[in-house]
Amino acid sequence: MAEYAPLIILLPMLAMPVILFLGKVFNTNPTWKNTLKEGGIIALVAMGAALFISLAIIKDYLGSFSNNGDIFSLTWLNTAIWEGGASTTPVSFGFGIYIDHITVMLLFVAAFLCFLINIFAIGYMNTDAINDNRNHRFYAEFVLFCAAMLGMVLSDSFLGLFIFWEIMGLCSYLLIGFYYERPSAASAAKKAFMTTRIGDVFLMIGLIMLWDLFGSLDYSIVFDPANIALVNPGSLQMALGMMFIGAIGKSAQFPLHVWLPDAMEGPTPVSALIHAATMVNAGLYLVARMFPFFGAESMSGELIDLAFIIASIGGITAVMAAGIAFVQDDLKKVLAYSTMSQLGYVFTGLGVALWLANSLDWHHDPAAHTIVIVAFGAALFHLFNHAMAKGMLFMASGSVIHEVHHAHHHLHHDDHADDDEFDAQSMENMGGLASKMPITATAMLVGSASIMGLPLIGGFWSKEGIIANAWRVALEDPRFFFPAACVLLGAGMTGFYMTRMWVKTFAGKPSNEVAAHVGPTNSWIKTPLFILTFVTLSSVLLAGMGFTHWAPDSEYSFLSDKGLVDGIIYELGHAFANHDAFFFVLTYIAIALGAILGPFMAMSLFGGKLEEGEDCKPWFKPVISLNNWVYNKYHWDNTGIATSGLAIALQNRLYIDKYYDLAMVKIVAGFSNKAAEADTKIIDGAVKQIEDKSQKISTIVRSLTTGSARDYILWVAIGTLLIFFFIWGVA
Amino acid sequence: MIDPAWVSGLSAILFIIGLIGVFTRKNAIIVLMCIELMLNAANMQFAAAAIHHGDATGWVYALFAIAIAASEVAIGLAIFLAVYGKHETITLDDINVLSN
Repeated sequence: MAEYAPLIILLPMLAMPVILFLGKVFNTNPTWKNTLKEGGIIALVAMGAALFISLAIIKDYLGSFSNNGDIFSLTWLNTAIWEGGASTTPVSFGFGIYIDHITVMLLFVAAFLCFLINIFAIGYMNTDAINDNRNHRFYAEFVLFCAAMLGMVLSDSFLGLFIFWEIMGLCSYLLIGFYYERPSAASAAKKAFMTTRIGDVFLMIGLIMLWDLFGSLDYSIVFDPANIALVNPGSLQMALGMMFIGAIGKSAQFPLHVWLPDAMEGPTPVSALIHAATMVNAGLYLVARMFPFFGAESMSGELIDLAFIIASIGGITAVMAAGIAFVQDDLKKVLAYSTMSQLGYVFTGLGVALWLANSLDWHHDPAAHTIVIVAFGAALFHLFNHAMAKGMLFMASGSVIHEVHHAHHHLHHDDHADDDEFDAQSMENMGGLASKMPITATAMLVGSASIMGLPLIGGFWSKEGIIANAWRVALEDPRFFFPAACVLLGAGMTGFYMTRMWVKTFAGKPSNEVAAHVGPTNSWIKTPLFILTFVTLSSVLLAGMGFTHWAPDSEYSFLSDKGLVDGIIYELGHAFANHDAFFFVLTYIAIALGAILGPFMAMSLFGGKLEEGEDCKPWFKPVISLNNWVYNKYHWDNTGIATSGLAIALQNRLYIDKYYDLAMVKIVAGFSNKAAEADTKIIDGAVKQIEDKSQKISTIVRSLTTGSARDYILWVAIGTLLIFFFIWGVA
Repeated sequence: MIDPAWVSGLSAILFIIGLIGVFTRKNAIIVLMCIELMLNAANMQFAAAAIHHGDATGWVYALFAIAIAASEVAIGLAIFLAVYGKHETITLDDINVLSN
C-alpha cells in the first residue's frame, strides 16, 4: 500500500480547487446545497480515501518494519552550491514519503480526526444560516489544512516539513478569520498568523543552520548516526534550539501562546481541527522528530540543556494555562487553555525522553533502552490521547453551543435586538444540560475524564507515564525538579478546571430559560462523538497493546509480545502496584491530585442537582449525585479568592497579552514614529533645504541682472582684472 | 628716440580714460568713442612692444587692429540706428530690456 502514500496528500489537496470551483459555479443550486452539502461531501470523500490509505499503510507498517524510512521520492530541482573558486557541490531538493513509528502515530491521529471533524462540520456548518452560500470556502480551506498536516507528517525531509508547515499557517489564518466580517475574528486571524510567524522565522534559521551542518535536510542523511558523529554538538544544539522555538509558536507554548485562545473566533470545527488534529500537533511532531539527534551515541550528554529547556517550557505552560483555565467562563476558552496545558505535558514528556535518550547509554544497556522507549512512548501516547479527547471535547462543545444558540433563536425569534448580547459560548448561560443532550454530555464526560487522567480512561496511562518519567529524571538531574513539580501540580489543576467545566455546563439547574429549552443535536454531530467516546474508553486496550512504549526505533517491538490480556495486566500492575516505592507513592499522589482533590474542589463550588423531574442516563446519576452531595456538604464561599488579585490577573491572562500589546505599541509603533519623523525631517528636509537655499541664492543672483549694459561691462572688467591678477599671482 | 616705457605708460593712461568713459557716460556714441580710445591704447601698446623688442610683428598687429576697429565702428553705429528705431533713444540707462 505504501506506494499509494502520495495520494493521502494529493487527494485532499486536489479536492480544494474542485470544491472552490464547483462552489463558485453552483453556489445557490439546491443539489449542491442539500445533497453535496456545499462541498462537504466532496471533502468527506477525499478525507475518507486519505484515511483508508493511511490505515492500510499503518497496518502494513505494524505488520513488518521492512518499509521503514524513505519509500517514495520525487526530485523537484537539481542545482549546485558554489564553494569558492571553480568547485561546486551538486544538491537536489525533492518531495518524498518517509514512514516510521512517529509518522504512523501522527498519520493516524491526523487522518482519523480530520475525517471525523469533517463529518461534524457537515452537521455544524450547514445548519447555521450565517454560513449559507459560503460553506464551500470553509470546506476548501479545511481540506487544504488537512492535506498540509498529512503532508507534513509524511514528508521525508525538514524542507518538506517546513513547506507544509507554512501551508498550515496560511490555512489557520484563513479558517480563524472565516467570519472575516467580525473585527474580532479578523484580528484573531492576524494574531495567530503573526505569532506563529515569529516561531517560523526561528524554525527557518534552525533549518538553515542544520543545512550548514549536514549539507542536506533529508531525514535519511541527517538522522544517519555516521553523519551526526561528524557534527559539532554545540552547533547542533543551537540549530535544534532554533527549531524548537518554531515548535513553541506552532504548539502555542509559553511565551508564544497568545494566539491560541483567540483562535476560538473560528467556527468550532476549526477549533477542533487546530487543537486536536493538526496545527498544535505539528510542533510536537517536530520535537519528536529530533529524537535521532538526541539518541545518537556521539551526542551523548551534549544536548541535555536543550532537553531541559523543552521540559521547562512544557512545565511552565502546563501550570500557567491550567491556572488561566480556572477562571474562564467561555466553554471553548476553557478547552483552549486546556489544550495549551496538555501540550505542555507532551513537551515535558518529550523533553524528559530526550534527556534520557541523550544521557543514558541506551544503545547497549537493555534496561536503559526500555526506560527511554517508555518515556518517549508516554509522550507520544499522551499526544494521541489528548488529540482524541480534545477533538471529542471540541466537537461536543460545538454541539452544546450550536444547540444553545438554536434554543436562543427559537425563544427569541422575533427579538433580534438582544442577539448580540447573548453569548452562546458562556457557561453562565448553560447548566443542567445532561438530561437534554445525553450523547454530548457523555462525550464531554469521557473526554474530561481522559484529560484529567481519571484512572483507566484515556490520558491516565500517558499522563502517569509523563509524571513518573519527569520525576525519574529529576532524581538524576536536580534541575528537572521544576518541570516535574509543574506537571504534578498541573494534574491537580486539570482535575479542577475540567470538572468545573462539566458540572457548570451539564449539572445543576438551568441558569436561564434558554438553557432549559436546549434540544438534542443532529446525527452528523452525534456520529463522531460516538466514535471518539469509544476510542477514548478503549485506551486501556491500546495501553495493553503496547502504546505506552511506542517505539522510537524499529529494533524494539511495537505491539507488546505478551498478548493483549497479559499486556493489560502488565500495564495495570505497572501503574498501580509499581515495585519501586518512590513511583508507587508518586502514582497515588498524582491520582489523588488529579482524580480526587481537583474534582472535589470543583464539585464543592459548582453544579448540583438537576431540575426536579428531569431524567438523565443512568451513567450520569453517580456523577450528579456525587456532585450534589459534595456541593451541599462542602460548598463554601469562594468570592474572596475569585476577586483576589491573582484571580483577576488570571482572568486577564496574566497580562501577557497586554504587555505584548504594550511592547508592540512602545517598541514597534515607537520605532515607526521615529522612522516617519526621520523621513519627514532628514530625508524630505534635506531636499527641501536644498530647494529653499537655491531659491534664495537665485534671488540674490537675479538682482545682479540690471539690464544695463554698463553694469555688465563693469562685471566683465572686474572679471578680467581678477583673471589677470590670478595669472600674475601664479606666474 | 623715445623710450618705449613712456609710450607704454601713455597707452595705459589712454586705456583707463577710455574705461572710465565707458562706465560713466550715458550716450551710446560717446561710449563707442571711448571703446575706440581703448582700442587705440592697445595699438599703442603693440607699438611700444615692437620698439622694445625690435620686432615688426607688433606693427603688423596694430595695423590689423585698426582695420578691425573700423569695421567695428560701422557695426556699432548700425546697432545704434536699429536701437534708435525701436526705442527712440540711445541713452544707455533707458535701454534695460535684459533686466529680470
